Amino acid sequence: MLALLFILFAALAVGCALAVVAQRNPLYSAISLIGVFISLACLYVMLAAPFIAAVQVIVYAGAIMVLVVFVIMLLNVEHEDSRRTRVGFLLPAALVLAAVLIAEVAFILVSVDKASFPSSSSSDIGSTASIGSQLFTTYLLPFEITSILLLMAIVGAMTLARRARELSPNARVIPGAQLLAANIIDPSKALDDTTAIETDTVAEAAHLLGITSPRDPSKRD
Amino acid sequence: MEPQLSWYLALSAILFTIGVAGVIIRRNVIAMFMCIELMLNAVNLTFVSFASFFQDVTGQLFVFIVMTVAAAEAAVGLGIIIAIFRNRESLDVDDANILKL
Repeated sequence: MLALLFILFAALAVGCALAVVAQRNPLYSAISLIGVFISLACLYVMLAAPFIAAVQVIVYAGAIMVLVVFVIMLLNVEHEDSRRTRVGFLLPAALVLAAVLIAEVAFILVSVDKASFPSSSSSDIGSTASIGSQLFTTYLLPFEITSILLLMAIVGAMTLARRARELSPNARVIPGAQLLAANIIDPSKALDDTTAIETDTVAEAAHLLGITSPRDPSKRD
Repeated sequence: MEPQLSWYLALSAILFTIGVAGVIIRRNVIAMFMCIELMLNAVNLTFVSFASFFQDVTGQLFVFIVMTVAAAEAAVGLGIIIAIFRNRESLDVDDANILKL
């Protein structure tokens, strides 16, 4: 029974994975990838890891794939054009290396079944409580480091995806900017003149420069 | 017949190989990105199956950490993809051959 379930989900995972690679449209690839994630979550349940299965569905199939689908739709990517590259001379080398790899993997898979496993079937291995207690005692430091990593990812993603603010040549006051380099305000000054003007509001900056701001100061971008 | 550990490891190896092939074959940056996610999931399956067969929860904790890293990688990677698209008007990796955004 379990073997039948394994074959079902494994076939589903491999088929969806092949579809990820074979599809020309990235959106179809993304949906096939969600199929892979769901079938892997079913396999995790079979392996007595219900917490990991739930996190797999929520984080991978939910959050990450929604992000990917958002980007695909935002960029409105077309089908990729099929160009042929010359790989003919690499084909024999690839076949030899693949044969070596298959032999290694087959050796490992044959020998791993001869290993002895602990037979005690304690049922709390994959439970949320056991994972949580380990995560907050033995593995507390990796947990904290992960939080720092997530913070860095947030800052990095915002910095990368932000459109750089473009200055027109006539721009004299940037609304919302409190610290302006002098050469931005007056282009006739030299670039290495690092004198800065510090003001709190746009109106103050405009008054200091002796101009009236062309934009509405209350409307910040 | 119960599924053996080698079955799960073989499935994981197959999925990882498909992911590697996808990164090599595809030219669309987003498709390559999704193939990397596929490889991460193959490794996760290895971790969970070892954790299950050795009755040790450490493997599942590793999966937890890997998922967090994958989420961070997704955010930063998609930010880079958007930056490339803004500058090149293309998602083809062959167009982004100059090491400059």
